[in-house]
Amino acid sequence: MTGRLAPVLIVAAAVVFIAVRLRRKQTRLAPKWRTRTDGVSGPVELVAGREVRQRLRGRAFRVATGLLLLGVAAAIVIPVATKGKTHPQDVGVVGHLTQSLRRAIGTAAKGVHAEVRIVPQQSRKQADAGLRAGTIDLALVDGDRVVVKHAPSSGDTTQTSELARAVAQLLGVGKAVRAAGLTAAQQAELAAARPLPITGLEPSRTTTAARSTATFGLIVLFILLSQYLSWTLIGVMEEKSSRVVEVLLSTIRPLHLLAGKVIGIGVVVFAQAAVAAGFALLLARAVGSDLLHGAAPLVLLSTVLWLVLGYAFYSWLYAAAGSMAERQDQVQSLAVPLVLPLVAAYVISLTVLSSGGAPPLYAEILAYLPPTAPFAMTALVGLDAVTWWQFTLSAVATAASVAVVAFLAAGVYRRAILRTGRRVQFREILGRASRSPRPDAR
Amino acid sequence: MLELAGLTRRFGSVTALDDLSFSVRAGQVVGFLGPNGAGKTTTMRAIFGLVELDAGTVRWNGGSVGAAQRRRFGYMPEERGLYPGMLVGEQVEYLGRLHGMTRHDATAATRAWLERLGLADRAADKVESLSHGNQQRAQLAAALVHEPDVLVLDEPLAGLDPTGIDAIGAVLVEQAQAGRFVLLSSHQLDLVEDLCDAVTIIDHGRLVVSGTVDELASTGPRRLVVRVDDDRTGTWARQLPGVTVSELDRGAVRLMLAEDVDSQTVLAAAMAAGRVSEFTFTRRRLSEVFREAMA
Repeated sequence: MTGRLAPVLIVAAAVVFIAVRLRRKQTRLAPKWRTRTDGVSGPVELVAGREVRQRLRGRAFRVATGLLLLGVAAAIVIPVATKGKTHPQDVGVVGHLTQSLRRAIGTAAKGVHAEVRIVPQQSRKQADAGLRAGTIDLALVDGDRVVVKHAPSSGDTTQTSELARAVAQLLGVGKAVRAAGLTAAQQAELAAARPLPITGLEPSRTTTAARSTATFGLIVLFILLSQYLSWTLIGVMEEKSSRVVEVLLSTIRPLHLLAGKVIGIGVVVFAQAAVAAGFALLLARAVGSDLLHGAAPLVLLSTVLWLVLGYAFYSWLYAAAGSMAERQDQVQSLAVPLVLPLVAAYVISLTVLSSGGAPPLYAEILAYLPPTAPFAMTALVGLDAVTWWQFTLSAVATAASVAVVAFLAAGVYRRAILRTGRRVQFREILGRASRSPRPDAR
Repeated sequence: MLELAGLTRRFGSVTALDDLSFSVRAGQVVGFLGPNGAGKTTTMRAIFGLVELDAGTVRWNGGSVGAAQRRRFGYMPEERGLYPGMLVGEQVEYLGRLHGMTRHDATAATRAWLERLGLADRAADKVESLSHGNQQRAQLAAALVHEPDVLVLDEPLAGLDPTGIDAIGAVLVEQAQAGRFVLLSSHQLDLVEDLCDAVTIIDHGRLVVSGTVDELASTGPRRLVVRVDDDRTGTWARQLPGVTVSELDRGAVRLMLAEDVDSQTVLAAAMAAGRVSEFTFTRRRLSEVFREAMA
């Protein structure tokens, strides 16, 4: 799937199309939801607008966004920095620069994706001084010795070290060829040797960049979902405990209040995720990160999509749970059953992704279950273990489940939000007795 | 007219409202009284559809009350209803817009009400930073910002200092004089007597007494206020047949006289107890109406 951008774009377009259609339908059914020409706004719009303003203004949002961007920057810049210089490698040459030597340097540079500049050196002494001063990256002495400032260790993946190894390898082979006493024609034929094509039985596995991006995406997905779902839960609980909900529900319907809150925080989720993704792409381009290579941008896009779907699925449940509580301790006990699938999906997906192999069957099953799909499908995308239609099927199934969850959550919310005095039990909101709240009689 | 007809609400074995009926006329401030647990808050919530009734209806100007009508109502719950972390002006404007105002109108009305209630300089402060009294003023501004036709206030005067009571009381009287329906609950009976044109008293969800303050004050047995120097208990009056001590009031005793009791007998008994410095026939106070209704 990761070989083509089109499928995910099709899914994204389909989601937008469905959202627009639903919006139009809702507008026909409930025109008060929209801004009217007389300047009076609908309740959902007003509630959502208030949520957006309050969240964007809050210190928690600013700090969280700052930390998120910092994390994104670190995840992109640190690997690039530890990989060493990516600018042209300055190769000092002591002695005569033959055609074969020039060709060997060029071939080695191509192999490690490096650009090379030849810098003639007067002497070995000048070359050593240049290496120590950093004016050249490596030196070739008389075509049979490679010199660098620090001897490369086995795990050193900087471009300079990789180039030094490649040049040393090629020059070593060349030396052996010459020692074998081959004719000039034979030497030319060897020099022109090309590696054999490698045929795989199955499509190639994901690139390191895609896996890294998916891993980072999973972590960000978990952090953002935890943060915003917590906002939803606490926000609903605070509206109930402060009794502001009574004033609000004296003029608007419970469903409008609930939808406005979920949509408002959802807008903030999407905005923050979009800012983080845009920042990541721009920064990656600026520093030449692997994030822009291969399927990584697609994985990033997929992560943003699953963040939105994951929030859409869980937010209604968290809001319903918040409506059953009045205090922080009550909220925590209600949140436990909702947090468990999130954490389990996150841990399992991260484990599957880090293994790097073919995903186990249970991971593939989790990718189609709405509570776990945001994480499991992100992992499968990172492993390139899912086709575009499987991805689409999972996304559509999750989107459809959102409608069901929203319907059920709205019912719980409507029955629980005005029940005050203690934590609402599930049995209280089921059956006939649930039809209206039980206020404290005064 | 705002009419509550046959309101009934049961929660298991508890009957919060028991066939409760009364009405509120436009242009009157109506006090809604009752002991704790009488069902006042439940009744007020029922007006706003926050409680689903087992029976009964709420009607306004002859029609049923739905979402559209409630947008013309203003509500101030007892436990207040404001976002603690939201700015005062922004919050009042927000609630105005939820009631259907345009942004422009809501902004102008917010500014005017905050000015009127002495909160203009606190508009950019968070609600939680205001004192209790100022939070109550902000809540009143939120209830009034959309110029409601019906104003329902649950304990709007609780915890206010005399200045706050005067300010809010003046606004409520002004609203009633403008032809609006004003219903407020309170346990501060003296304040209700000063402020309200009519009262409705309920207990156990049932109507006990309803009428104008003047009607209720002028009915019942004759009342005497007698002050005997150095006597703060009215022990002398308790022994008189046909005389009941209604209240002790700042050194004086308020007495209820049965029809056959001669006031001269009472005066003689008071003079026997000490020097009489006050002996006045008076109207029934609202606190007496309340106590007698609850008896």
